[in-house]
Amino acid sequence: MGSLFRSESMCLAQLFLQSGTAYECLSALGEKGLVQFRDLNQNVSSFQRKFVGEVKRCEELERILVYLVQEITRVDIPLPEGEASPPAPPLKQVLEMQEQLQKLEVELREVTKNKEKLRKNLLELIEYTHMLRVTKTFVRRNVEFEPTYEEFPALENDSLLDYSCMQRLGAKLGFVSGLIQQGKVEAFEKMLWRACKGYTIVTYAELDESLEDPETGEVIKWYVFLISFWGEQIGHKVKKICDCYHCHIYPYPNTAEERREIQEGLNTRIQDLYTVLHKTEDYLRQVLCKAAESVCSRVLQVKKMKAIYHMLNMCSFDVTNKCLIAEVWCPEADLPGLRRALEEGSRQSGATIPSFMNTIPTKEAPPTLIRTNRFTEGFQNIVDAYGVGSYREVNPALFTIITFPFLFAVMFGDFGHGFVMFLFALLLVLNENHPRLKQSQEILRMFFNGRYILLLMGLFSVYTGLIYNDCFSKSVNLFGSGWNISAMYSSSHSPEKQGKMVLWNDSIVRHSKTLQLDPSIPGVFRGPYPFGIDPIWNLATNRLTFLNSFKMKMSVILGIIHMTFGVILGIFNHLHFRKKFNIYLVSVPEILFMLCIFGYLIFMIIYKWLAYSAETSREAPSILIEFINMFLFPASETHGLYPGQAHVQRLLLALTVLAVPVLFLGKPLFLLWLHNGRSCFGVSRGGYTLVRKDSEEEVSLLGSQDIEEGNNRMEDGCREVTCEEFNFGEILMTQAIHSIEYCLGCISNTASYLRLWALSLAHAQLSDVLWAMLMRVGLRVDTTYGVLLLLPVMAFFVVLTIFILLIMEGLSAFLHAIRLHWVEFQNKFYVGAGTKFVPFSFSLLSSKFSNDDIA
Amino acid sequence: MLETAELYFNVDHGYLEGLVRGCKANLLTQQDYINLVQCETLEDLKIHLQTTDYGNFLANETSPLTVSKIDTEMRKKLCREFDYFRNHSLEPLSTFFTYMTCSYMIDNVVLLMNGALQKKSVKEVLAKCHPLGRFTEMEAVNIAETTSDLFNAVLVETPLAPFFQDCMSENTLDELNIELLRNKLYKSYLEAFYKFCKDHGDVTAEIMCPILEFEADRRALIITLNSFGTELSKEDRETLFPTCGKLYPEGLRLLAQAEDFDQMKRVADNYGIYKPLFEAVGSSRGKTLEDVFYEHEVQMNVLAFNRQFHYGVFYAYVKLKEQEMRNIVWIAECISQRHRTKINSYIPIL
Repeated sequence: MGSLFRSESMCLAQLFLQSGTAYECLSALGEKGLVQFRDLNQNVSSFQRKFVGEVKRCEELERILVYLVQEITRVDIPLPEGEASPPAPPLKQVLEMQEQLQKLEVELREVTKNKEKLRKNLLELIEYTHMLRVTKTFVRRNVEFEPTYEEFPALENDSLLDYSCMQRLGAKLGFVSGLIQQGKVEAFEKMLWRACKGYTIVTYAELDESLEDPETGEVIKWYVFLISFWGEQIGHKVKKICDCYHCHIYPYPNTAEERREIQEGLNTRIQDLYTVLHKTEDYLRQVLCKAAESVCSRVLQVKKMKAIYHMLNMCSFDVTNKCLIAEVWCPEADLPGLRRALEEGSRQSGATIPSFMNTIPTKEAPPTLIRTNRFTEGFQNIVDAYGVGSYREVNPALFTIITFPFLFAVMFGDFGHGFVMFLFALLLVLNENHPRLKQSQEILRMFFNGRYILLLMGLFSVYTGLIYNDCFSKSVNLFGSGWNISAMYSSSHSPEKQGKMVLWNDSIVRHSKTLQLDPSIPGVFRGPYPFGIDPIWNLATNRLTFLNSFKMKMSVILGIIHMTFGVILGIFNHLHFRKKFNIYLVSVPEILFMLCIFGYLIFMIIYKWLAYSAETSREAPSILIEFINMFLFPASETHGLYPGQAHVQRLLLALTVLAVPVLFLGKPLFLLWLHNGRSCFGVSRGGYTLVRKDSEEEVSLLGSQDIEEGNNRMEDGCREVTCEEFNFGEILMTQAIHSIEYCLGCISNTASYLRLWALSLAHAQLSDVLWAMLMRVGLRVDTTYGVLLLLPVMAFFVVLTIFILLIMEGLSAFLHAIRLHWVEFQNKFYVGAGTKFVPFSFSLLSSKFSNDDIA
Repeated sequence: MLETAELYFNVDHGYLEGLVRGCKANLLTQQDYINLVQCETLEDLKIHLQTTDYGNFLANETSPLTVSKIDTEMRKKLCREFDYFRNHSLEPLSTFFTYMTCSYMIDNVVLLMNGALQKKSVKEVLAKCHPLGRFTEMEAVNIAETTSDLFNAVLVETPLAPFFQDCMSENTLDELNIELLRNKLYKSYLEAFYKFCKDHGDVTAEIMCPILEFEADRRALIITLNSFGTELSKEDRETLFPTCGKLYPEGLRLLAQAEDFDQMKRVADNYGIYKPLFEAVGSSRGKTLEDVFYEHEVQMNVLAFNRQFHYGVFYAYVKLKEQEMRNIVWIAECISQRHRTKINSYIPIL
């Protein structure tokens, strides 16, 4: 519990790592994840640091590993999930590993290159056979297609052709044939036509099966074409155009015999290639299988190694270059662990001089570490989303555990809905070790991470639902109502008592639309319902008026208590940081201001509840008027709530008015007095003080000084106390702004808590509407058809309840609860200007990288 | 009309504009350049570039790293971004993008023709082509012998076709003719692009027109500078000048008559924009006219980002990125050739 109230105390430690053992020490530290390294070489650019070469080597290894993983996944070999987490490789093994991997890469590249070559060859041969098959039909068709020649005898026909060729063109007929991608056919034909001015004949046929493109590996449709042309010149052009469109050109056989021969040759070659290709693939698979066994752990090992070198890059060398100096933030509780890790690292490397550490005092604000477990984690996240707490300030997460679900439940009060939410959360909590939940998608993951918050939210909603007596918008009569209707009838009272009372008789009951129960009649109201709201209100027409009054007052009371609590937590902060004057000059006036106005409002609300009964309710004054009169001092005295009210109110008002100047001027004047009279008291204190007001520049300035000072610093023991510049104007301004914000905030924040009432009203009304629009329709139909109708109506009701009332309304209530915490509660005391403690830990690293890397 | 155009701009182009502004924010800063200049080897350069928006774009390059590898990878990256913009664009922004690629296409065509003239293999020349100006037909460029051939057979269906109207001729394509062709194409391209932006109106016109005017004038000045001492006649020279610049018409006529740098400078001195530029050339830091022009261009492009709801940002971004790539290549060259004295003469992007 204590660890959640304040962040853990930190210390700055210097590690002296012997250069031989530094790697092992960091490896041991990384496994434990105890410390956060500070960058001592901030103004050295990344490529001028000490261990750049090693980092580069790691990157090279990573590149090879990525290539390996890529190849392995391509042939569908399952990647074995490596053992939990192999340690970073010892330095001696690194070279060996690098050699192995490089050899493997070279081999793989060669084999895949061969494979690709074979494959390409094979594809080309297949294309060629297809082409031969298709073009055969072209020629035959050409012959059949010329009916004019058919009438002539065959011989004559031939000679005529030969003759014309020789005579007219002085060149022979040429053919270019090949394959072209489907999409390019049209443009190809057009360009052929334009470039060759029509001296070509192009024939196409679509290939019925799609083939792989040897270059890109895409499977696409191809066209087989045959271009016939006359003359050398055009032939060159045609070939160039074919090149331009990346056609695959194959020699065109002139005679049928030649064609057959080629085809046979091709078939045997294809057979051969198939067998060779299979063998190559088998071999490749073997190699990859072997590689797959270790690749996962290798990836992790290299990541760790790289991380270690990155950390080593943050260390500075001492003068003799024999040891590295690292500065780390470490929780004080973990110091023994840190020592042990260093010893372990030194022992592993077998160094003669052990690495050691010592703590150094500092004025800098350490990072904030709040240890959480899986229950508190979610609540801490809500607070951290607003701002990570400053070092050692009161952590609101502890109180958020209760107040957050409670304020949520005030808005979400319905024990039916709450119970459903509770069950859902319980399901998540019970199955939290299920692997599928941990790797789930974004939205479910969000719910999963907040499962304990949901659980508490559900539980609290059940509680507030019982108070509101709302279950899916219906009330439940558990203990029997405190109201008795029969007492209203005139017959149940003796005639002499009936005189002043408005009683019912049969005719009134039959003819009037609404009937009023009068609690002042004896026997009608038999005392309050034991727990929550009386179920009879569910039938009343003035139910809303009654509930509104109740919920409004309740939200004001809760809000003021919540805010006052925040101011009180501020006192704990002031006590801890030894700024007692802040208590008297800031916190006390703040509390006075709040309580004298709004505390008194609460008092009036509760007093009115207690002091007036059903009989005296007619002369009860309005709280609103009384409250306004407190500030306006009306001339005519009203009779008020209690005797002496005017005096009490004047006193309270006087206190309030007095608190304001103290709030505005107290702290600046006090600081001024301190500065003039007793210089530097309370501002400089041994050990840590909060220096969150230090500007960024100052912090970085300090950092650079550290580097320059180098080793002298530790001999000095304590660093120079940089006295803060005293600037009265600035302090006055800050305090004035803070005070104005607070005083106005008291009013606006109180009003802001009315959202509790508004949202709870909205939720109740929405569920009421849903019931009235759906279930009532279903229930009204008579029994025979009602069953049939009720089933879909029920399903629809369930769906709408879940999506609108649970998820949508739940989210809105969640948001408002967050807002109430962040704005109304936390601005009373929480600074949230810290930085999170991020330890150098392999567990953070490997989980983060392995996912996106292997996937 | 003006207001409504701004009102609806984001419906069609808002996403891309947001994207391009984000990309612009990732351009290298002054600090980055300072760090890059300090690098000792190309490996250092690579490590430093990893910390910028370039990321590990060189991660899969096997060593040794060369300047040309860096250049191609950077170009590829720019091309990927540009293709993304282009694939997600709607009319008339996509036409605008097409116009942007045209200048690269012209360069590529000329490069290929020069390559063919020197009997280099197409593959070799293709590797040098700018990926932004790549199109399928361009590999067939070398089948053409004359300009009209080139137009009729190869380029008639490309976006370049409309620019050919002025330069149809039956001359064989020798080196001079190719250069003339390039300039004529560029002239009509710039004029067409200028007209497109002008017709589009709105902020786009307000931003793009000055940029294109400057581009046109720069070409005119550079052509004049390069034609001193060549056989190009003055009349021919005048036909190459793009007419959409500030120099048109009076300045161009004077430029056509100019015979040396001083005369050219006298022409430029008549214009408020160009006077300071020419003055900067002579000054101590040893800048060339080209550098000064680049600097001015960078300035104009950066200013384009000050207005919203126009297409100029895309043009400006690509130009800025190009300048950045030129800078990195310059620095990388200086590093690899151990020529550190001139390493600082890159053109900083403000």
